[in-house]
Amino acid sequence: MTTATLQTQAATARSAEGARALIVAAFLGLGLVFVAGFAPATVLHNAAHDFRHAQNFPCH
Amino acid sequence: MITRLLSAALVAGFLASVVATGLQLALTSPLILQAETYEGEGAHAALAPSPDAPFASLIVPAHAHSHGDGGHDHGKPDEWQPAPGLQRMAFTGLATLVGGVGYALLLAAVMLALRREPTPQSGLVVGVAGFLAVALAPAIGLPPELPGMGAAPLVLRQSWWLMTVIATGLGLYLIAVRRVPLTILGGLVLIVAPHLAGAPQSIDTVSSQVPPAAAAQFAARSLAIGFVFWAVIGLAYGWAWGLFGRTAGARAHA
Repeated sequence: MTTATLQTQAATARSAEGARALIVAAFLGLGLVFVAGFAPATVLHNAAHDFRHAQNFPCH
Repeated sequence: MITRLLSAALVAGFLASVVATGLQLALTSPLILQAETYEGEGAHAALAPSPDAPFASLIVPAHAHSHGDGGHDHGKPDEWQPAPGLQRMAFTGLATLVGGVGYALLLAAVMLALRREPTPQSGLVVGVAGFLAVALAPAIGLPPELPGMGAAPLVLRQSWWLMTVIATGLGLYLIAVRRVPLTILGGLVLIVAPHLAGAPQSIDTVSSQVPPAAAAQFAARSLAIGFVFWAVIGLAYGWAWGLFGRTAGARAHA
């Protein structure tokens, strides 16, 4: 195997890992922001109430 | 890479939420408590559930009933809410932590998608963009509200909020990253469009008992805290990314 193919494989692995990291970060991030800012469950709303107002999430 | 990203986002979210929680408790929470005393005066009717709609609260999101009368359901005995004082402050801190880590992860995802190597400088730039898209742009149509000020239905305001955040974020990307005349024009259109379409009328100026001075102070303080929150998230993410890169590199060389 030549150095070039090794480098290509390494680059492909890196970009695949990057894509995976991107998806994981985006999903986790959206999930956490939803729970803190949007989740309609009353218990979550009441717990996060002052944060939602202070960070200008639509509330009430 | 995933471990490094998650670790850096956790650190950034934690640091930013410590700062933002302190600012919220000092600057915005007192105004919220003050507003809730006014809210209580007009809300006695809302506290007694009306017999003909016993299940309304199961269907409608928590606060849907409170539009007309400026009322509020914190007084309902069957719904858990944090006890006043320390517990309420702790939950505000916890929510800020969850939100801060969430924002940090989204900032990390954006930096990865843009292929920007995270440093404190580049993190700060993306953080400020986050503030513009997520805090400032929606606040133009839906200014930060104290309890008891909301008027338009929650779902409408949430949709407009989300639409504005996405449009502004895309617009900033087209202007700042793509940077050719056509995309700059498109970006400007995207940023302006939600405001031309118009936000759902959000402030109940007629029946709200909240003093305008308190409301104005709250809006300014909320945006200031939002700016600090995003700036610290960006700075700290860039810093922590470098930190975890170095420790990983040191381990690999050992």
